[in-house]
Amino acid sequence: MKSFGKYITRHLACFAATIIVLFLVNAVSFGWTFHEVITRDYGDASPQNMLEDVAAASTQDGISDDARRKLQNNSIWAMYLDREGQCAWSVDKPVNLPDIYSIQDVAVFSKGYLADYPVFIWNAGDGLLVLGYPKDSYTKLTSNYFSIHAIQTLPLYFSGMLAVDLLLLFLAYYFSKRKIIRNTEPIVASIEALSSGKPVSLSGCGELSDVAESVKKASRIISRQNEARANWISGVSHDIRTPLSMIMGYAGRIAESSAAGSSVKEQANIIRNQSIKIKELVQDMNLVSQLEYEMQPLHKAPARLSKLLRSYVADLINAGVPEIYSIGIEITPIAETTVMNCDSRLISRAVSNLVQNSMKHNPQGCHIGLSLDRFDTSLILVIADDGIGISAEKLQELDRKPHYMEGTDETLDVRHGLGLLIVRQVTEAHGGTMQISNATDHGFTTILNFPIGIVE
Amino acid sequence: MNRSFLHGKKLLLVDDEQDLLQMATAILADEGFENIITATSVREGIDAADQEKPDLAILDVMLPDGDGFSLMGRIRAITDIPIIFLTAKDEAADKLAGLRLGADDYIVKPFLPQELLLRVYAILRRCYKEDAPLVKLEGSTVDFSRAEVIKANEVIPLTAKEHILLETLARSEGRIVTVDTLCEALWGDNPFGYENSLNAHVRRIREKIETDPSKPVSLITVKGLGYKLHTRK
Repeated sequence: MKSFGKYITRHLACFAATIIVLFLVNAVSFGWTFHEVITRDYGDASPQNMLEDVAAASTQDGISDDARRKLQNNSIWAMYLDREGQCAWSVDKPVNLPDIYSIQDVAVFSKGYLADYPVFIWNAGDGLLVLGYPKDSYTKLTSNYFSIHAIQTLPLYFSGMLAVDLLLLFLAYYFSKRKIIRNTEPIVASIEALSSGKPVSLSGCGELSDVAESVKKASRIISRQNEARANWISGVSHDIRTPLSMIMGYAGRIAESSAAGSSVKEQANIIRNQSIKIKELVQDMNLVSQLEYEMQPLHKAPARLSKLLRSYVADLINAGVPEIYSIGIEITPIAETTVMNCDSRLISRAVSNLVQNSMKHNPQGCHIGLSLDRFDTSLILVIADDGIGISAEKLQELDRKPHYMEGTDETLDVRHGLGLLIVRQVTEAHGGTMQISNATDHGFTTILNFPIGIVE
Repeated sequence: MNRSFLHGKKLLLVDDEQDLLQMATAILADEGFENIITATSVREGIDAADQEKPDLAILDVMLPDGDGFSLMGRIRAITDIPIIFLTAKDEAADKLAGLRLGADDYIVKPFLPQELLLRVYAILRRCYKEDAPLVKLEGSTVDFSRAEVIKANEVIPLTAKEHILLETLARSEGRIVTVDTLCEALWGDNPFGYENSLNAHVRRIREKIETDPSKPVSLITVKGLGYKLHTRK
């Protein structure tokens, strides 16, 4: 989700940078285009320079030939008015212009035009030099005055406006980013949930509702497939139970029968034991798939793990444990009275799997110790045996490698039982963690850590 | 405890699988049960319950003309007998539904013959007490009907709590009974911190039943778990 926010910021920053670059490009192309015009307008033929040159090269009596040529080359006409407003001399003066000007005439044309010719004047001391440029060559502002106050306010106005603009831009950025994130957050979260194969529920994504709809559709497809898979496994496990009951029942009868010979009894016993294995596999497979797709509702209720452990061990011993195995149980006083909100059946199942694993992997016999302790808000359940243990590589493999029920990789080791996977799923369904380790020399230890929450 | 008095009880089996009925009947007959009746549908089950008045019914959850839960309701309307469900479903919800409706136990298929027998015995023993049960121990005999212990020709009375405690242990004779089960039997649900009182009761019972109370041979402590009562056949 964080990366998504950064993504939006990055893109908006890119957008802002593009705007700045555009401004620069515009400025450059403006400069390029007007460079020539401007150098001409403010070059030799500009009114200011021309006035200076002509004034220097002329008196009330006349104008130098150089200056006259220069004026003619630039199609500029000129006249010199004496103190009385009388034209002393002129160069190419249009014929329709008078030769004498009143003070009102001078005041009017000095600001603007004389018969549509933009004119410029120069105070030559004893007279007035007037230059007339071709019609439509210059425009003149006839009301060019600004109050000093207005001019003084300008810098303040521009800097203030710039600050306000920047603030508005930032606000626009901030709110649009927030709006985008608010609209996309549930969608992104749902996609994350989808990637872990969990169903999602989405509502109200505003303008992105059609995207949300697609995500919901994908989620529905995934959960339908998960459901189908879980139902398939549960169906198979259901249908196999009655025939298996018959196999186990009759094999058991033959194994106990006094009429059968000893070798027949032995074979019946093998059938029975193998059937029990199939039964366990079917049950495990069903439970794993239910837990995996969260189809098994947890029946959580406050319970004492201490009581649950004692009841499990007592049942186990009562059902008959070979003498080569010894089982010890140790519960600290604080753990004894601690109540945890849990699904007792599943916890018993997890404990049973670990104890059965210890027995299965130690046919020579071993001691299995169950201990329960409490640290702060965690119940620590340890199931440890002093048997042959496993190699470091195997331990790592058990810890890291996904089980074949969870992965799609065909190279996965399918020889692993489901026992440990169930333990981990059950522990995680209770918000806990599972840790497996080799004892210093030999033996296998599993530590389950359950948070006990607020139930006391 | 003696099991033979239970063999005369009438058992009703209802399952739509003829083969399974046959097998279960064989298992129960091998064990010594003499009165076994079978049915393959809800309809037949109700008729059998009505006419034969069985002492225990074992019902499949899925039947061709209905489910075992409703059959249980119909049977209970006729006669109040213990009922065990036989289910091919592993789902917890099914078991809970069965137990909530008042079933006494459930067995998940597939099951071993031994499992079926143990459950049947446990339920029958709980529901039908043997008349005048005498439990013989190494150094004494317990008469539950009179709440007395007879040790070396001496008659020692049992208190109510001692009676409950000994009876609970005797029902699971030879098997470990956890302190939790014993405390619950004595003081009801969720009995916290009663273990010291339990120890005191156990001590007093040992004084009454054991020849040498400091070296008990009948009422044995199982460290960390609970107690076990050894009887003499």
